[in-house]
Amino acid sequence: MTAKTRTRAQVNDLLGSRRIDHVVVIGANGAMGYGSGALFTTAVPRVTFLARSKDKADKGLEAAVNAVRSSTVRNRVDTGDYDKDFDQAVSKADLIFEAVTEDFDIKQKMFERIDKVRRPDSIVGTVTSGLSINALAAGRSESFRKHFMGLHFFNPPNVIVGTELIAGKDTDPKLLDFIEVYSEKKLGRVMIRTADTAGFAGNRVGFKVLNEAAQLAEEHGPVLVDRLVGPYTGRAMTPLATIDLVGWDIHRAIVDNIYKNAPDEVHSTLKLPAYMASLIEKGTLGTKSGGGFFKTENKVKLALDPKSGSYKPLTEIKLPDLGYISQVAKLHHDGRYKEAMKVFVEAPGEWADLARKVVAGYVSYAFHRVGEVTETIDGIDDIMGFGFNWAPPSVLVDTIGLKETVAMIEKSKLPVPKLLADALKSGKTDRFYKNPHGNIGRFFVAG
Amino acid sequence: MANEVYVLGGYQTDFARNWTKEKKHFAALMREGVQGALEETRIPAKDVQVGHVGNFAAELYCKQGHLGAFFVETDPAFSGLPTGRHEAACASGSIALLAALAEIEAGWYDLSCVVGIEQMKTVPASEGGDYLGTAAWYEQEAKGVEFPFPKLFGKLGDEYDKRYGLKDEYLAGISAVNYANAKLNPLAQTRTWYMNKEHACSRDDFNSAVGGRVRIADCSQVTDGTATVFLASRKYAEKFAKERGIKLENIPRIKGWGHHTSRLRFVDKVAESAGAEYVLPHVRSTITDAWRRAGIANVDGIDGIETHDCFTTSEYMAIDHFGITKPGESWKAVEEGWIEIDGKHPINPSGGLIGAGHPVGATGVRQLLDSYKQVTGTAGDYQVEGAKNFQTLNIGGSGTTSVSFVVGVG
Repeated sequence: MTAKTRTRAQVNDLLGSRRIDHVVVIGANGAMGYGSGALFTTAVPRVTFLARSKDKADKGLEAAVNAVRSSTVRNRVDTGDYDKDFDQAVSKADLIFEAVTEDFDIKQKMFERIDKVRRPDSIVGTVTSGLSINALAAGRSESFRKHFMGLHFFNPPNVIVGTELIAGKDTDPKLLDFIEVYSEKKLGRVMIRTADTAGFAGNRVGFKVLNEAAQLAEEHGPVLVDRLVGPYTGRAMTPLATIDLVGWDIHRAIVDNIYKNAPDEVHSTLKLPAYMASLIEKGTLGTKSGGGFFKTENKVKLALDPKSGSYKPLTEIKLPDLGYISQVAKLHHDGRYKEAMKVFVEAPGEWADLARKVVAGYVSYAFHRVGEVTETIDGIDDIMGFGFNWAPPSVLVDTIGLKETVAMIEKSKLPVPKLLADALKSGKTDRFYKNPHGNIGRFFVAG
Repeated sequence: MANEVYVLGGYQTDFARNWTKEKKHFAALMREGVQGALEETRIPAKDVQVGHVGNFAAELYCKQGHLGAFFVETDPAFSGLPTGRHEAACASGSIALLAALAEIEAGWYDLSCVVGIEQMKTVPASEGGDYLGTAAWYEQEAKGVEFPFPKLFGKLGDEYDKRYGLKDEYLAGISAVNYANAKLNPLAQTRTWYMNKEHACSRDDFNSAVGGRVRIADCSQVTDGTATVFLASRKYAEKFAKERGIKLENIPRIKGWGHHTSRLRFVDKVAESAGAEYVLPHVRSTITDAWRRAGIANVDGIDGIETHDCFTTSEYMAIDHFGITKPGESWKAVEEGWIEIDGKHPINPSGGLIGAGHPVGATGVRQLLDSYKQVTGTAGDYQVEGAKNFQTLNIGGSGTTSVSFVVGVG
């Protein structure tokens, strides 16, 4: 049961079952720390920002003020450091929210410290983007494990509402219900429950597609790949530009984790391309290091040649004829999404085949994860729609058509998920996408 | 006796969307709105007999006129349908509804589709502000003025201050209620925005003044969006109810309406009402006309209101004009929490124009659709418990054109 299916009385009962009057954010100088901290101030009267030094925590507070554009954040936040203020703040908090560096050992050490001073009834949440919740909780007290969970906000939390909630094997189910409802009703989140599997739901499905695009870029170049898997396929931002924004090092950490811990039917698509590994060693980290697949120098936009590691102006890169993309985009422009996707599905040529392989791969991969990372496709749909801002897999099936989608997956020589095969056999005609408020049109960007 | 007019539901797009960023044409917005409404209500497109479009300024924002023809573009079944476009600044949507209402009352048609629509994020804020100035007497009140409308509605606050006294904290209170309600509305533009009473009261750069006493938090939003509703005769509503196994008396009706237009310039309006109880007496008449036609004595017969809060001052004006308080005492309703969603006179449970957003030509239709949701118990988290009758107030210009509908069941 999710908050969406609970009655108003059930929701009120759950909300009344606990109080959150004081939150401590650990790692409040990082983007996830101060972003989440600002979000908590919308519902919580007192939020303590902790960082390695008070100065860093103060900087986090200023970043929070600027992120949400309100100086009133300051009225609810106090700041401190890990030496002088940690024990006192953590011992009083109702919710301890850990947002330190995505590093297993650093996080585990932090939990050890928290475990020593926290109140036995306080909640501990971690914002890891894919580390195992059970592994992180190993060795902690029973009370800690009972009150511990993954609460995966996406960056920036004040803008992106999709949030994953991950239980450990000892987490109190009633507490999960409370956090789910509290986050939905008080923090405006769209909550998705996922299993404790590598990358959870969103990053598992999303980075599979991103990494596949990075693999294809080696042969075809980043410009062509981002054009083929561009906005017209149901995303606001192109895949390789997304990796540049996320950071190549973060991308590596996420796909390495999935590759190592979650081998699946398309295991090789999660393997980090060798050219990325070697460029990361040389300091190529994407936008934050001055460039990745793309960069701008002297106002000239440049694209990486993965084979040589050098950059070329976009204007010098010749693309094959991609006339079908203009046709699809024009139809999206006029709001004719089904007709647009029909043109996409029927477009001739190797490039359209390649684009369809990635899109079919996304749908196939997402439906294969049902039962493994989420109970139904709805959770994957929600995190892709509200976390990644991509057309959820169900939206693509509904827009393309079930029969046509299955045919596209088969033609791409990819495994057809049982859910889709069964639906086709049974003659299912109702929509796959269940979110009543999701305007599906918003996902199809006319670019 | 005039035929009864039923509301069969409709559809609203997500007002947080930016259709320019999606690289979409106005036609896409209209298409999603109408197709969404057909799907939501399960009304076959071929049943629609007439289309009405409410829009303020597509000529300016989108360089596109002849909007009735765009209705025909939304479905193959609409080719040849009679359609038209209606304009009365921010009241355009309600004027479209009035036309549809009149035709059904007159027995011309049994099923009418009314679309309110505006795409505004096509231009920078200052240019959009200038376009909005054409809802005033442009040459005399707006030409060369940066953001003319906040200034005009700042003057409405000043007029209240002069006649009765007005503390800005009550305007901030109105803003805070609208933003809080918007957080409950999954289609509201500001549902994820950072807002609270303290922020609305704050006076730094994050909440700077844009028109006298009107600050950023007092303003409605620049919004892309559309709202669509179906209005039907009793004959069609009976068929609709039978096919869906619902009772006719559970389908909302438009029970009453009011419509007046004042002089265009704000100074002339205020001069006309000098010494009177109500600052905008024609707005008051619009509200009372709707009650009279609905057979309702006063605001106690209304379970909730969707009003025009283009600025907090306009909602402040609406509170006493609805008779929730005596003239000049609107602050009491704010201070006592009467206008909150569980208060005795809930206003804008949707979040209103401040919280839900204000795609100008769509607003009147959006208000009617939200009223429909309230009286059918389908408003979700922003449901006013047990609502049977809801009233809208939609205003164009500086209190110039005003339209009100009473929508109810039973």
